Amino acid sequence: MNSSNVITEDDRYRSSTQFRLWSFTPASLLALRSTTNQLAADRVREAVRRARAREAQSSADASDADPESKSRATSTLPEGELDCLTVEEELKLIVFYCRQTLQLGKHLNLPTDVNATAVQYMKRFYTTNSLMTYDPATILRTALFFATKTENHYYRLSKFAEAIDKTKPEDVLASEYLLTQGLRFTFDVRHPYRALEGAVMELCAIAEGAIPNNGVAGEMPRNMDYRCKVAHGTAKEFLKTSALLTDVYFHFSPSQIMLASLLIADEELIRWYIAFKLGGLQNAMAQKVLGTLADCAQMLRTVEPQMQSPAEESKEARTLAKKLRKCRNPEKIDLVALQQTKRGGDNANDEKILKKRKLEREKVAQEAGDLFGPGLKKP
Amino acid sequence: MALSPLVVPGSASGERTAATAKSKLQAASAVTSSSGTPNPNNGPPPGSGGADLAEQMNEDEKQKYIKGKKLGEGTYAIVYLGHVKSDPSKLVAIKKIKIQEDYKEGLAPDAVRELKHLQELSHPNIISLLSVFSSRDQNLNLVLEYLPLGDLEMLIKDIEGVRYGAADIKAWMGMLGRAIWFCHENFVLHRDIKPNNLLIAADGGIKLADFGLARSFADPYRVMSNMVITRWYRPPELLFGARSYSGAVDIWSIGLVFAELVIRNPYLPGDTEVDQISKICALVGTPTEENWPGVSKLEHYAVPAPATPIQPVAHYNSMFGTAGAEGVDLLMKMLILDPRKRITARQILEHGWWKSEPKPTKKQNLPKKGGGLEKLGEDLKRGPGVLDDERGTKVARKLDFGSMK
Repeated sequence: MNSSNVITEDDRYRSSTQFRLWSFTPASLLALRSTTNQLAADRVREAVRRARAREAQSSADASDADPESKSRATSTLPEGELDCLTVEEELKLIVFYCRQTLQLGKHLNLPTDVNATAVQYMKRFYTTNSLMTYDPATILRTALFFATKTENHYYRLSKFAEAIDKTKPEDVLASEYLLTQGLRFTFDVRHPYRALEGAVMELCAIAEGAIPNNGVAGEMPRNMDYRCKVAHGTAKEFLKTSALLTDVYFHFSPSQIMLASLLIADEELIRWYIAFKLGGLQNAMAQKVLGTLADCAQMLRTVEPQMQSPAEESKEARTLAKKLRKCRNPEKIDLVALQQTKRGGDNANDEKILKKRKLEREKVAQEAGDLFGPGLKKP
Repeated sequence: MALSPLVVPGSASGERTAATAKSKLQAASAVTSSSGTPNPNNGPPPGSGGADLAEQMNEDEKQKYIKGKKLGEGTYAIVYLGHVKSDPSKLVAIKKIKIQEDYKEGLAPDAVRELKHLQELSHPNIISLLSVFSSRDQNLNLVLEYLPLGDLEMLIKDIEGVRYGAADIKAWMGMLGRAIWFCHENFVLHRDIKPNNLLIAADGGIKLADFGLARSFADPYRVMSNMVITRWYRPPELLFGARSYSGAVDIWSIGLVFAELVIRNPYLPGDTEVDQISKICALVGTPTEENWPGVSKLEHYAVPAPATPIQPVAHYNSMFGTAGAEGVDLLMKMLILDPRKRITARQILEHGWWKSEPKPTKKQNLPKKGGGLEKLGEDLKRGPGVLDDERGTKVARKLDFGSMK
C-alpha cells in the first residue's frame, strides 16, 4: 500500500462507525453518561411516584371489599426517599456486569470475538441507557446472543436460553430491539486481536532474522524470541479483559490498544520495536505515538486483567447491586410484557394478529399487479 | 408511516400508564407526527414513562425523512419512496424490514448482515445507507440512496431496447471491480454478486447492493457456510462444499457477470447444483488434481467423466471476442478454477484491459433504460435468496424466474 491514491488504513478506520459514532473525548463521554444518569434518575422518581399513587388508589378501593389484598399491594415498590445511583456508581456496576458477560460467554464456549463484541455492546448501550432503567443482567444475555449473530457464530436461540439458568427464549429476545436501538443500529466492532497477531508475527520474524534488523533502533533486545512469545501471552490477557472493561475502545484505535497492551507486557521490547518501525524514538511521530500509548496503557491498568472480579471489587459491586434494586424504574422491569405492548399485541391477541397479517398478505398479493401499491391514506 | 400495517388499534392499552411525564429532551422535540395513524398517545410509546436518550436519538433520525408512496413489497421488506424533510427534492428509498413470522430468533440474519456492512462501507459504487431508524412498531427502516434506473440485469435482457458495446461493458466492469475491491480491502465478502444486485444510479453509475449475505473474512480456523451466492454465479469451490474460502468466490461471480454482459445471456445457467458443476466442467473445464491440487479432497467433489480440458483461448475468443484480447485474458483469469490462482480484486484493477482501447464510456453517456421506480422497489425488497450461514438448511437458492421476461 505505498501508492498515494490508495486509502490508508487510518482513513479506513476513520470511516468506521466505531470512529464516527463511538469515539469520544473523556469529557464528552462523561457528559453523555451524566445526562443519561440524570434523565434516568428523574424518570425513576416519576415512575415510582405514579406507581405509588396507583397502589394507594387500588388498595383504598380494595380495602373495603377485601382486606387481605392490602398487604399484597405493597409489593415490590421501594419505600421512602429514592436513593438513585450516581454516574460513578453506574460505571463501577457496568464493569461488574461486563465481567459477568465474559464469564457467561466462557460458560457458553463462545469465541473471543463474540464475547468481546458483546461486552462492547454493553458498554455502548449503557452510554445512552441507565442501569436503573434496563436491568444489566437481562441486557447482557441479549448482548451475547446478538453478538453471536453479528459475529457469524450462529447459536440456536432455544439452545442458548437453555444453557443459561432461569432463562427463556423470550427473555433473551425481549430486549433485542432495545439493544439495537441503543447501538444506534451499528453492529460492527473493531477489535485489536488480529493486529496483535500481526505485530507478534513481525516481532518473531525480526527475532529469527527473517526480517533483518535495520539498525535504527540499535542492537536487538536480548533474548528477543522468547520475550516476544511471553509478551504475546500477557498482551492477549489484557486485550481479553482490561481492554474490554475499561473505556479504551471509546478513546483509542485498535492498533493503539494492541500496542499499549504489548507495552505493558514488555516495555523495553516494545519501545525498541517502535524505534525500529519509526526510525528511532526522538522524532515527533515516535514521541506522539509513545505519548498516546502511555495514556492508553495507563487506562488499561485501571482494571485487573482477569475475568473474575477481584474480592474488593465484587464486594463493592454487591453493595451497589443492592442499591440498584431499590432504584429501578418499575415500569421497565417486565421487558417481555413491554415488548409485547410495543409490538402491538399480547399473547391473548396473538391469533388475532396472525390472522390480520394473513389477510394483509393476501391483500398485498392481490395488489401485486398494481405497481405502485394501494393508494396513500390521507392523514 | 401512514401505511404502517402492524399498528393494531387498541392494543396499546396493555398498560395503564396514561401519565406521560415529559423530560426536557423529549419536550424539545415532542412533535412526533409524521404519523398519519391517529394515536391518542402521541408522545412516548405506550407503557413507557417517556423517551430514553436512545429513543430520542432514533426519533430525531426518523424526523429527518418523509415516507412517500410504496414502491414494492416482498416477504422481507417493503420499499417506499421518500424524501428529506428539509429538502423535498432530495429523494431516498426507504426499505422497511418486516418482522418475519417464520423466523423466531429475533432480528433476521440477513437484516443484521446488511446493516452491519452497509453502515461501514462508503464508496461511490456501493449503495449508500443514509440513515436507519425504527418506526413505532419496532420495524427497522433503512434509508438508502435513490437509484431510479433499474439494474444491470434489465439492461442485459432488453436486447431490443438497449444497445451497448465494449466501451460500455468496460465502464460497468470498472465500477464493479472497484466496488468489490473496496469490499475486500475492508475484509468483507459480498457473496451474492449478480446482475440484478447491481443497481443503476441517476448518473448512470453502478452501485453494488444487497448485502444480506455478506460477512467479514473469517479467521483462519473458523468455517463459513458454503450455501451462498446464487447458483449460476457460484464458484466451483462452494459447489464442492468448501467451508474456508476467500474473496476469490466474489471474483468468480464477477467473471460471470462479465461474460453475461458480453453474450447477453447467463453463461452457466445450471438447473441444479449437479447441473451447475456439469456446466462449469463443459464450458470452463473440469477441476482435477492437475489444474487444482487438493480439489478432490473437498467434501462434495464429484465431476462427470471424462474430464474436459480447460477451455483454450480460442473458445473464449469465439464467444467473448468483442471484449478484445485483453478483455478475454481478464475473463479467463476471473474464471480460473483453482481459487488460489484466480485473479484478485486488486490485480483486476491493475489489469491491462483498462489501458487498452476502447476507453471506458463516461458514466453519464452509458446506455440507460427508463426502469423506473417500480424496479427500485423490486430490487430493494428482495430478501437474499439463501440460506443463512450455519442455519444448516440444505435448500438451494431459488432463482427468480418470474422476473425473467
